[in-house]
Amino acid sequence: MRPLLAAINFRELLRPLGQLLLFSIGSTLVLSAIVLVLSLCLEQTAVGQHLHSRLSVSLYTYTLVNLPQVVIDGLTIGFVYAAIALGYTMVYGVLEFINFAHSEIFAVGAFVGVEILIALDKTGILRSASLGMAYAYLILAIVMGMAAAGALAVAVERIAYRPLRGAPRLVPLISAIGVSFLLQDVIRLTEGLTTGQFNRIMPTFGNFDRRLNMGRIALGDTSIALGISVKSIIVISAAVLMLVGLNYLVNATRIGKAIRAVAQDRPTASLMGINVNRIISLTFLVGGLLGGAAGVLYALKFTRIDPFVGFFPGLKAFTAAVLGGIGNLTGALLGGIVLGMLETFAGAYLGVFTMGAAGSEYKDIFAFSILILVLIFRPQGLMGNNVGQKA
Amino acid sequence: MSESIAKRFQDKLDHGVWPYLSVLVHIGLGTALVYIYPRSNLAFLVLISSLFSLYAFKTDRRFQLVAGALLALLIIPVIGVRNIFYLEVIFQISVFAALALGLNIVVGFAGLLDLGYVAFYAVGAYLWAFFGSQQYYVLPFAPGSQPSGLPFLLPGDAFYLFLFIAIIVAALTGILLGLPVLRLRGDYLAIVTLGFGEVIRVLANNLDKPLNITNGPQGITPIQRPTMPEWAVDSFNGLFGPLIGHPVSPADMYNLLFYLLALLVIMVIIRVTRRLDDSKIGRAWTAIREDETAAIAMGIPLVRMKLAAFAVGASFAGVMGVLLAASRTFISPESFSFMQSIGVLSMVILGGTGSIPGVILGAAVVTILNLQVLQGFSLYLSELRQSEAIIPLINFAWKDLSTQLDPAKYQRLLFGLILILMMIFRPKGLIPAQRRRRRLVADPTANK
Amino acid sequence: MALLETINVVKSFGGLTAINRVNFELEPGKIVSIIGPNGAGKTTLFNTLTGIYQPDQGQINFNGRSLLGLRPDQIAACGISRTFQNIRLFGEMSVIENILVGMHVHLRQSPVDILLRLPFFKREETDSEHNALALLHYVGLDGVGDELAKNLPYGAQRRLEIARALAAEPKLLLLDEPAAGMNPQETEEMTSLFRHIRDEKGITILLIEHDMRVVMNISEHICVMDYGEKIAEGTPAEIRADARVIEAYLGRGAVAGQHEEQLQ
Repeated sequence: MRPLLAAINFRELLRPLGQLLLFSIGSTLVLSAIVLVLSLCLEQTAVGQHLHSRLSVSLYTYTLVNLPQVVIDGLTIGFVYAAIALGYTMVYGVLEFINFAHSEIFAVGAFVGVEILIALDKTGILRSASLGMAYAYLILAIVMGMAAAGALAVAVERIAYRPLRGAPRLVPLISAIGVSFLLQDVIRLTEGLTTGQFNRIMPTFGNFDRRLNMGRIALGDTSIALGISVKSIIVISAAVLMLVGLNYLVNATRIGKAIRAVAQDRPTASLMGINVNRIISLTFLVGGLLGGAAGVLYALKFTRIDPFVGFFPGLKAFTAAVLGGIGNLTGALLGGIVLGMLETFAGAYLGVFTMGAAGSEYKDIFAFSILILVLIFRPQGLMGNNVGQKA
Repeated sequence: MSESIAKRFQDKLDHGVWPYLSVLVHIGLGTALVYIYPRSNLAFLVLISSLFSLYAFKTDRRFQLVAGALLALLIIPVIGVRNIFYLEVIFQISVFAALALGLNIVVGFAGLLDLGYVAFYAVGAYLWAFFGSQQYYVLPFAPGSQPSGLPFLLPGDAFYLFLFIAIIVAALTGILLGLPVLRLRGDYLAIVTLGFGEVIRVLANNLDKPLNITNGPQGITPIQRPTMPEWAVDSFNGLFGPLIGHPVSPADMYNLLFYLLALLVIMVIIRVTRRLDDSKIGRAWTAIREDETAAIAMGIPLVRMKLAAFAVGASFAGVMGVLLAASRTFISPESFSFMQSIGVLSMVILGGTGSIPGVILGAAVVTILNLQVLQGFSLYLSELRQSEAIIPLINFAWKDLSTQLDPAKYQRLLFGLILILMMIFRPKGLIPAQRRRRRLVADPTANK
Repeated sequence: MALLETINVVKSFGGLTAINRVNFELEPGKIVSIIGPNGAGKTTLFNTLTGIYQPDQGQINFNGRSLLGLRPDQIAACGISRTFQNIRLFGEMSVIENILVGMHVHLRQSPVDILLRLPFFKREETDSEHNALALLHYVGLDGVGDELAKNLPYGAQRRLEIARALAAEPKLLLLDEPAAGMNPQETEEMTSLFRHIRDEKGITILLIEHDMRVVMNISEHICVMDYGEKIAEGTPAEIRADARVIEAYLGRGAVAGQHEEQLQ
């Protein structure tokens, strides 16, 4: 046991944990401060009065009462984005190519996981399962989702991208868009033929929907409930586990070294005896595994999935990857968390602050605005180093 | 042996009277078939494909013009009025051909992948939808709560003016979007334009408050059409009534009018595209597509030329948007989804990026696949579903087939397959772009 | 007055200083070479002169005006034209169109002329096509006007790139390793072409070259760079005798030196 333990590079395990914690706390503090200051500023204006007349509560109190839930929701979705973003960023790092079909890899993972649970549910064992078995089934679903998504990602690379390697940049991108569209309808077709419907609902089992209450903080005549649902804890901890694992794989193993070498310089890496094709397949596999797991977690959190479920999370995860600095693993974590938080905050407070003129329906395009701003003002992303375009 | 016979046959078809004869026979056959079997899809395909043989066979330019005019201005109107569905298909082909030609300027000429192209189409459509309907007076009302009997803001004939206004507005939108993002590298640009397309759709969906500009997801209706003079209906009836076999209603005449307008717009677009392509501007676009660094070192202002490509492409879409809004009298955000953008892209890719005949063929093929093949297949399936038939080997009863399984809704599958297969096997498209030959180079004795 | 002068130009990438305080003057009507071992900063200097990179410090003046802050296309319009080390033609365009692209800055056709095919447009297109054919003839590429540029053989591609640069009617022509990969006879022809360009068109030429026969044969002035700095300058005879140059080439830059000898 001892040499095995010694072989583990604990620094590489702890570093991403620290980063995740830092990013989460940092974005929580910054965004909370912003909305609280805004609420104080707008308190006495028409905005505050509008809210008061509607809910008879002051804008500041309203903001504060909702804050804990917003932060937890933001973190949950942020971690899901981060897990998907890692898939984009790894492939981009190695091939300089946007794997547009990654969002459907994610969707396939979600469908496989949910279908397995639905099948188990039909046999009845899910409802009678003990708590321990419920978790075992959930893990089974996640693992199967990962396996399916990983295999699919590798197959897609082999069929639709590899023949186009070396072609002009837009050629594989167009092929990837084609794959994305094709897969959406393949999911729909498969579901249509086998189950007759496209919208699938995650069965309820275990204690995932329970809410753990952690007390209340009194605040004048109302109070803030502190609590978190079991689901959110599962999503966050599973995501953290994967993120740490991936970081370890890339930064502290031989395979990781090979991946980084191929990302740096493909011809040279192949001269050094690295099988470039295998490493590229592996990159897609890892990205697919993460995407698949994120899919099942997403289904757990939001319950309902349809064949187009990947589109928005995929685009936002891509935005997160760019925001953090595409090709940079830590950047993807940061981007995912920041984007998830920003979006949830916007969804929760935009409506109140604009007196209902623009509400959470603009949540989805919020991410695009951020993407455009980032690309214009800091195209290398928050953490990317300044790699100029080669002349 | 057989190959040489085929070759000799082909050779013969390219010389003398044979190409003329082939084209005429094709047109005649198509016309006769459609006339005899007005409901047959196959007959319609024969007729519509005669346009292609008109393009493919080597015939005299004057002959092409006359035959084309005959086909477009006489045969198709008469046939189309007999079965309005055909006219609808052709109208849609024209609309998509115009969009594909516009996108072709951006993607094919300048090499900029624009995934939000229908946004400009939406801009044109909503422009006329707003000014050509009662929407201006609906502004203060939530969707569905407006009083009835509101007046129209502008007369229907303002439509013609708005065809031109849409060019300007859509071009400006293109420039406005392009200014911040055209510095980006190609793949980023693709994602950002996708985002822009979604932004426009979300805005169309949600700008029903605080002021009701777009009427939200319900969309705007009724949108006015230009007036149809009495004499036009009468004279058309007088001329073609006997051929058609029944009196033509004003509604049919509107379909005809929009078909002719679409045709006119396409002719103009082709002309404009050809002329731009064959000038300093078109060469600059191609140069940018081929090698940005070399192009800028030759003094080509990158951003300005890219903006020009965006603006021209956008203006084509804008015009077609106005036409669509008027012809449908109804528009909603649904018509301007990401899938539509990809649909137009797959037309360009299928036909051949940068190739004018190519993208028109692409638009025709994809539209026909969409409207006729997929829908025909849907119809066939639903017939099977109502029958007692079973699939023999696996003993599957057709009537158990899910009603969700409607091939007409599987456009994504179609678009996806087109994009992947073309990229892998024929990245230059069905009719690859031809480099224009310069007059002087081809003929050294010219001008001497 | 110098046609081109750089004053203390510095350009660095991250920690690496690619050009370090280069001072340099170019007299009009001269043929001047920049030599130096691989990685000495020669191509970076070209990229800085043509606006692909902005210098971190220093001044660049051309024909009496500063080039700082200008975009590459604006600099090209000022009269600096270039070729590239790894030929960058517009492969899918015909030979003649490549040259027409080079004329871009001089064409006055407006969108209105283009869309309406006004007489001015037709005249300008015919004229520029005549000029393009003449240029093709000038660089020795007759009869290939309708070929796609990518289908030309290597040597012809180099010539075409020069013709494309000449089409912009530059005052200064920057040539980046124009004789690379050519056999002795082709090199000879190239060298005389450069002389013609200077003598007949009065275009100043600045070239980067590794082939010492070309450099010594054609240059009136040579500038030697090493590690981003200008280490020597002078006539070919002076350079041949300069101890620092010999050290740069034979001492640390032996690889580049051998490369030259192989070519000879």
